Amino acid sequence: MAERRKPMQAQDKLAFLLALVPYLMDRDRVSVAEAAEHFGVEQEQLREAVRLIAVSGIPGETNAYQPGDLFDIAWDDFEENDQIILTHQVAIDDSPRFSAREAAALIAGLQYLTALPENADRDAVGSLMAKLTRGASAAPSQLAVARSETDEALATIRDAVIAGVQVEFDYLSSRGERERRRVDPLRIESVDQDWYLRGWDHLRTAIRTFRLDRIDDLVATDEPITYRPGDVKLPETLFTGTPEDQLVTVEVSASAIALIEDYIPEGAARSERGGVIRTSVRVAHFHGLKRLVAGLSGVLTVLDPPEARQVVAAWAQAGVERYR
Amino acid sequence: MSRSSSSPARVPVEERLFSLVLALLATENGLTKSEILSTVQGYRQRYEPHGDNSSLERQFERDKDDIRELGVPLETVDAPEASGNNQLLRYRIPKGAYDLPADVSFSPEELTLLGLAAAVWREGSLSGESRRALMKLRSLGVEADDPVVGYAPRLRVRESAFDPLTQALERHVIVQFPYLKPGESASRMRTIAPLSLVQHQGRWHLQGIDQEAGGSRTFLLSRIVGAVKLTARVFDPEKYRVDGEAFAERALVELERIWESNVAEIEVTAGTDAATRLGKRYGEAVAAGADGEPVRLTVNFSDINILADQLASFGPEVLVLSPPELRDHVLRRLEATVAAHTGETSDG
Repeated sequence: MAERRKPMQAQDKLAFLLALVPYLMDRDRVSVAEAAEHFGVEQEQLREAVRLIAVSGIPGETNAYQPGDLFDIAWDDFEENDQIILTHQVAIDDSPRFSAREAAALIAGLQYLTALPENADRDAVGSLMAKLTRGASAAPSQLAVARSETDEALATIRDAVIAGVQVEFDYLSSRGERERRRVDPLRIESVDQDWYLRGWDHLRTAIRTFRLDRIDDLVATDEPITYRPGDVKLPETLFTGTPEDQLVTVEVSASAIALIEDYIPEGAARSERGGVIRTSVRVAHFHGLKRLVAGLSGVLTVLDPPEARQVVAAWAQAGVERYR
Repeated sequence: MSRSSSSPARVPVEERLFSLVLALLATENGLTKSEILSTVQGYRQRYEPHGDNSSLERQFERDKDDIRELGVPLETVDAPEASGNNQLLRYRIPKGAYDLPADVSFSPEELTLLGLAAAVWREGSLSGESRRALMKLRSLGVEADDPVVGYAPRLRVRESAFDPLTQALERHVIVQFPYLKPGESASRMRTIAPLSLVQHQGRWHLQGIDQEAGGSRTFLLSRIVGAVKLTARVFDPEKYRVDGEAFAERALVELERIWESNVAEIEVTAGTDAATRLGKRYGEAVAAGADGEPVRLTVNFSDINILADQLASFGPEVLVLSPPELRDHVLRRLEATVAAHTGETSDG
């Protein structure tokens, strides 16, 4: 997997050591490369851990860490062939249990994943949760995610991703324009309750992100995709700026800044006064902005440019008119 | 053997922690603090046999917490011959409580799913816990199936209250935080025995026992407007358990009940963003009208303010028919937005 490998903290390193020992015990011989691959760590990180394990142990009867009280490895194989053979072990026989929070994190993650069509088999997920609970050293923390409805588009898109075929659908932009789009589906992403399709948009000839709940009349075509998931690099962030984006100056309650964090460009100036932060947000056009601002009434205010203020005011005014 | 000799330099933290775990796993009857400090790698190098070891003792206290946080059951055993005497307390890690039970095993398919479940937390909260849980799973040596193609689901907890609250849940301690109740202009300090954290309709809620009111209450994390303070007061969650039910499940059932009992009638304009998105969420049985035609939807909600925010964002695409309170909420929001965006701004 292409996850980023961050440097480990001491606690992570300890967890790694406690996990690595039983893994090595179960194998007569394993290469550094294979073990590093298995744990998803750098090879040098793995070698370091093996070196540390090999000189560690228990104080023993003499309290002097005698050789028999220490782990040992076949040093020649390790140093010359990059192979790990554990030749002596102490104290540890098995994998450690999960902590209450670790088990809770996985259980809540599983609950969230039941929104995916292939996890509709609740029994399988349920038995997995029971195993995590039994495998924890204390009752898993009470953390739960409610079951959410599966968007029916999900299954169609997923099948298209696997089959490598293009999909076609009506898409309503936040500007209110409806267009038939043809897309190479690359990945389904989500943030909490919101699900997105990311793919190569043949109409715009660019990578685009689509909200699943704005998609209508979705069909999978027979047309193979032109770009494979490996061909194009998907940016980490769901929405990426384009040169046509506009900067808008806003004021937002300090307590609500997290709600618009995604729209604030990196390095944008922020100044705070009386619990209100002034900063700028990046928008593709003012029509997306007006919805955002109207949904954060009293919390988010547009200061500049005047056209942006007008678009927001007109939108809210049209809403007010409905009640007259 | 080319083992490097132990240098007088500081022993790395992970070596000290690892050595402590090994020593405590290997002991049957437990080790006293002074035995640990004087013999275990990483402590013994800094131990003064006849001097002051208070900083080393504090180090040991922190290390104990770090180790316990990893799910390692580090126990304190009271010495029967001198109960209450701190110096005679013994520490150990019982193997039976440390080892993953032998019947807990996972198939490659299950590991793949667990990998995805852990990845859900890749941003911020619980990312460390997920990462460490995965490490322990890999310890079992089972290779996961190929990852599920094309999925990158994620839970993103924006509320800073989440992390301290998960800690409080694990430690069963009373918490205090300022809470801004909807409709009130000032926040009030609450003192709560936390029982569960649940996400319902995309929002995180804390459910717990209000120590002043003496009853169960549910709080929206987004309305916790200041730091969450963990007190030193430990409570026994069991005394609040009803019918042996899990707290989180009970909280979800209760939120679902509230959600279903609150009903609003709204009208959306066919062909608009509101019709597409709200229709998908609430309008299963409603026939879509031709563009521009009004379509009626019945909408459930658990918090009128949150629904009002959501509906106001759709501007003229939504008209609230009932209840009147929701109508007022939405209209007031729209009017406030107009007012805030009309005329010149006060400065340049």
